[in-house]
Amino acid sequence: MLGPRLEGRNGVALVPPTLEHFRLHPAWEVQPEASRFMGPRFGELTPEKQEKRFKETADGQTQIQWTIAYEGEPVGFTGIFHIDWVRRDGETGLFIGRHDLYGRGIASEAVRLRTSFAWRELRLRRVHNWVALANRGSRRANEKVGYRRMGLLPRSYFRSGEWYDEWLGEAFANTFPTDDLTARLDVPQRGSGDESQHAGE
Amino acid sequence: MALGGTIRGKKTTLRLPVAADLARFNDWMADLRVRRAHPPWFEPAMPATWKERFAEIAKEPRRVLWSIESDGRLVGLAVGRVWDSGVGLEVRQLVIDPSEWRRGYGADAALALHRYAFDYLDLRRTDLVLHADNVAALRIAERLGYAEYARGRDVYYRDGAYVDQVQLVMDKETWQERWGATEREYASFAPEAFR
Repeated sequence: MLGPRLEGRNGVALVPPTLEHFRLHPAWEVQPEASRFMGPRFGELTPEKQEKRFKETADGQTQIQWTIAYEGEPVGFTGIFHIDWVRRDGETGLFIGRHDLYGRGIASEAVRLRTSFAWRELRLRRVHNWVALANRGSRRANEKVGYRRMGLLPRSYFRSGEWYDEWLGEAFANTFPTDDLTARLDVPQRGSGDESQHAGE
Repeated sequence: MALGGTIRGKKTTLRLPVAADLARFNDWMADLRVRRAHPPWFEPAMPATWKERFAEIAKEPRRVLWSIESDGRLVGLAVGRVWDSGVGLEVRQLVIDPSEWRRGYGADAALALHRYAFDYLDLRRTDLVLHADNVAALRIAERLGYAEYARGRDVYYRDGAYVDQVQLVMDKETWQERWGATEREYASFAPEAFR
């Protein structure tokens, strides 16, 4: 599924992905700066494969994905994957492709929007993820919205002569910051011309 | 998923699965004793759906399915997934027919499968995920050399209650230390073989 538009703070929004956004992914994923804790920096990175991935993402009933927009430009993607609708549990992930924008709080805001949506709209009860322990910014982004460490996989990545552990986190609706949970997601106002024509309006 | 070849244990043999096994797979996935112990591999389905699944299984390169038999009887199945990095194997399923429980088949098949992973495929580590109350599986994992590295809280819900999830990993060094001297796929060649 493609996620709905979620307006955030400081110029960050989660928006429904388009094929054009998906075509940006390979160029992001092959950069050494962005792939330090991903890999393998090769693969079937063709436009045709991206079109197939886009269709599969849109059709998939056990995942929801967004493009992360910053000041109107696509800069990465995030989502909830492998959703088990019976257990109401999903695995979350995030990737900022524009490494020149690291350190601006984009990931933190994207994680906040995504997590709020998981509790308020999808009615999930648990989300979990994997983050490189050394990727402090990403870990902090998750911790700020209630993810707590559930374990540590030792020696998960080998990069430039060093082993790196991987942090495993989980979050529940009751671990989300209260002030964020009570603040409603921004939605278009009635009469603004932006609202949909259905949904019982 | 690929179809796995023969791996011999002492009591069991992991062997190439065939279409005739599918009805039993369906029975196990519909058995609440199995579902209580493991997250189901697939939901129960019509025979035609299982045939489609089987055709898809054979195509997937990183996931491997084995049937497990003992004395010529089908007693279980195993599913492994080679990590994307190619250096590890996740043991995703090891299901033994509930009518065959407590005969040591699970432990025997697990040992054989891990010997194949470390001694034949030369993998660096294996991992698996278990229900925290699956005492029998945890005991087998501990004996093999697994160590817990993460515990998810209230991950599974069955029988009216939540249960935690335990994630475990084993490194090749542990395997070698514990099993390397006794568990080998092949005996060494005599020196004459290299002349």
